[in-house]
Amino acid sequence: MLKNTKCECGHQNPVGTVLCEACGLPVHPEDVQSDKPLEMRYEGAARRSQKSNPNILDRVWNFFSSVKVAVYLIIITLICSIIGTLLPQVNVIPSNDPASYYATEYGWIGELYYALGLADTFGTWWYKGLVLMIAASLIICSLDRIIPLYRALSKQQAVKHETFLRRQKVLYTGDVANAEAWLGEMEAAAKGRRYRVTREGNALLAEKNRFSRWGPYINHIGLIILLAALLTRGIPGWYMEQGIALKEGQTGPINGTSYYLENIQFTEVKEVGPHISGQELQFAFETEAVLYRCIDNCHNPLSEPILEEVKQHTIKPNEPLVHEGYSIYQIDYSFEPQLTAITFDIGAEGRSLGEIKIELADPAFFYPVGDLTFELSGYYPDLTNVNGEPATKSRQPNNPAFIFDVQRADGVEESYFVVPLEQFQTRLKGSGDAEVLQFEIADMDASRYSSYMLVRVERALPYILAGALIFLFGVVLGLYWQHRRIWVRIDGDQLIVAAHTNKNWYGIREELAKLLRKTGIETDAKSLDNNGVTKK
Amino acid sequence: MSVEQIESLIDLSSTFLMVAFLVYNLSFIVFGIAVLGKRWSNRDPQSHERRWGTIGLIIAIVGFLSQAAFAGLRWAANGHIPVSNLYEFLTFFGMMVVLAFIIIYAIYRKPLTGLFAMPLAVVIVAYGAVFPNAVKPLIPQLQSIWLYIHVTLAALGEAFLAVGFAAGLMYLLRTVDFRDKSVSGRRKIRGVEVTLFSLITLISFIAIIFIFRGAGYHAEFTQTVIEIDQTTKQEVEVEHTVEYTLPPIFKPHNSVTVEMQSFLGMEEPLLEAPSWLNGVNAGRKLNTIVWSLALGLVLYGLLRLILRRPLGAAVSPIMDGIDEQDLDEISYRAIAIGYPIFTLGALIFASIWAHQAWGRFWAFDPKETWALITWFFYTAYLHLRLSRGWQGEKSAWMSVIGFLIIMFTLIGVNLVIAGLHSYAGV
Repeated sequence: MLKNTKCECGHQNPVGTVLCEACGLPVHPEDVQSDKPLEMRYEGAARRSQKSNPNILDRVWNFFSSVKVAVYLIIITLICSIIGTLLPQVNVIPSNDPASYYATEYGWIGELYYALGLADTFGTWWYKGLVLMIAASLIICSLDRIIPLYRALSKQQAVKHETFLRRQKVLYTGDVANAEAWLGEMEAAAKGRRYRVTREGNALLAEKNRFSRWGPYINHIGLIILLAALLTRGIPGWYMEQGIALKEGQTGPINGTSYYLENIQFTEVKEVGPHISGQELQFAFETEAVLYRCIDNCHNPLSEPILEEVKQHTIKPNEPLVHEGYSIYQIDYSFEPQLTAITFDIGAEGRSLGEIKIELADPAFFYPVGDLTFELSGYYPDLTNVNGEPATKSRQPNNPAFIFDVQRADGVEESYFVVPLEQFQTRLKGSGDAEVLQFEIADMDASRYSSYMLVRVERALPYILAGALIFLFGVVLGLYWQHRRIWVRIDGDQLIVAAHTNKNWYGIREELAKLLRKTGIETDAKSLDNNGVTKK
Repeated sequence: MSVEQIESLIDLSSTFLMVAFLVYNLSFIVFGIAVLGKRWSNRDPQSHERRWGTIGLIIAIVGFLSQAAFAGLRWAANGHIPVSNLYEFLTFFGMMVVLAFIIIYAIYRKPLTGLFAMPLAVVIVAYGAVFPNAVKPLIPQLQSIWLYIHVTLAALGEAFLAVGFAAGLMYLLRTVDFRDKSVSGRRKIRGVEVTLFSLITLISFIAIIFIFRGAGYHAEFTQTVIEIDQTTKQEVEVEHTVEYTLPPIFKPHNSVTVEMQSFLGMEEPLLEAPSWLNGVNAGRKLNTIVWSLALGLVLYGLLRLILRRPLGAAVSPIMDGIDEQDLDEISYRAIAIGYPIFTLGALIFASIWAHQAWGRFWAFDPKETWALITWFFYTAYLHLRLSRGWQGEKSAWMSVIGFLIIMFTLIGVNLVIAGLHSYAGV
């Protein structure tokens, strides 16, 4: 059945209209009879969600366009978030086996928590689904209202139906002797308080701060931008995160990029604060690091990559190394002393012939000393004995052993087996009359710390921040300014003044009382409150 | 600065905090005179309220300045803004509540707000003083300008939300009909009583800590805990020393008494904490909670016996003649001011700092999540109020629940849920 939506003033309203777009009279006859204050939301304009005969798409639209649904979504997400903080989430537990961790630490509650997927609440499909539904609600709520609201506010007329005025929440009725003079005073007074005034015959409309009506939509747009920016993590190259652990002196690749990072030195400062006797407090820790770009021989296991220095920076908490979208953070460190190089002083009959330095992570093969050449023909980083033969337990240089083939200038060849940490050396091969070479430790280099760093790319960050700031701007616009309107209608000597604000009724009553005072009408702000009762 | 100089600065700052605390109490009393003295004979109620309200405000400002001096001296002593542990943060939060109250007072000039906001500040400052006040250098993650921006703004935003709670509670005391025998009427009365009981329990907690601290009470236990060694992955027995400053009703699970002062003839702990509370400090926390609840119940029960009616019914006559719509408006306005400040300080600046310090702007750390929960809650509040017409009583109840969420975010998360923000070590 088609409802008659034509108003008595002659204006044809769209289906779903609550208050006539032209004169403000309620469209439905039962609303006209009531004496309750008018529902002024969205100016009583028809919204898309009020379409008759909705199809499935319309129903989805209607669902998400409801503020009630939006609040439910917020509350449900809130409760789910609380559940997600009850036990530590998988990303922070100190175990690689979450199933058994939750069971042993928290008993059957932990087991259930893990089984339900709550150990990763914020990564579950339903939590993401809730956020997506909030996003849908933000978009649809805004679209559903902003267009009709914009239309209604841009084609307002000053002359409103008497019923519309009498059923506003702020109302003054009285008598006025000279309509024209009074309206003139009112216009001047309203303009004095920054109202924009429109007059039509013996009717007047004063309006200010209409922009505050857009506040909610601006803040919703901000949130939509923020949520959309989070989705960009799916775009290749927009989001990357990896950990990198480097010993002091070590250079390692940042996987998936052409960058290498070197840990020159790690420093940990401990200090004793005042007041706390003897208690050591970690005061600072930092990695002196160099970022390189690989320009040749990259990702080639057989040869050394050729690196070009890009940037040197001391990475510490709160001061990451930042280069072209890459940020490298100091996350953690561990104290694990380890040999990195040994320098031998080569002696013969008390004379020093020279020094050779062996990098334990990646030793070179040949070392010239004077007229001698040392060839490293055997290297056992972590010496052990397998069936009488030397072997290594691991690749960590815990107890390195070396076999050197020595070539003398006169062609004599010798071979030495050296275990520096055990102060042991023996000549395996060579003539007895040449003097025995002595391998004395001249110096040892050690790395004391491993530094753990996090490499991240987050291209969406500026957009997230922009969204958040737009949100805040919209909130401030909507909360701290109010859209105020005052309607005046004089019929004969009967004066009706009504006012509407989207919030802060206290403020508009005070303001209207001041305006009336300027036109010679003394009234108490409180008495303007037309709360639910129509004054005749 | 030498250690002696630092110590004398700290002592001086503590004196200023003490002065502020006492002045806040005085301000509370003066606001009480302003509100209750209206009905005294031979005076004009309005001018009485205005005069005493102004005196109360001036005293509150003096207290605020004194606490600002405390914060400034402590800042000078430890070299960073004093908001880095629960002692410093909670006292700072109390100071922000006073600031928020002063601003709200400047707008609405209702002395009644002071009658509720000042005791709230007093309780929060006293609560902060419960925690250890040792000066410590900042851990590296906190050494950033964002500490100053993020923490102060978050605290200020939450302080406005707290003032919203104070006004909301006043609204409920003003409007709830304590003679209503209907089901919904009883439910409302119960709600008000639960809120008041919670506040009394919080005050009991503070009182009990200070009473036994003043008496120098001490007990010590050795607790054996089974832990999994991180390198060998084997279960090992570890012994911890647990110290109590309250008489142990509950001793730690699986523990032996090392030393215990007798308390009212009690020579041994009465009970042992259950096995599922086997964390190192879980037994002590349980003991403290039981003490606070017990004293809270005793205090509440005594008050009920003396007053012979619900506490809310006893307090509500103070509210007679107060315009409830004003209270509703003040509560809403405080929340409307607090919401954007909270969003900026506790979420936006927090994310920027997290991005800089931890390398990610958001990781659902419990404290972050609870800040988000707070934000969700007040977002729902604003939607319901502005769009669904939830004004007056409904929105007052929401402001009460909101404050509960804030207090959990600020303190509960540190004490109950561990996480990256648990710097307090309590």
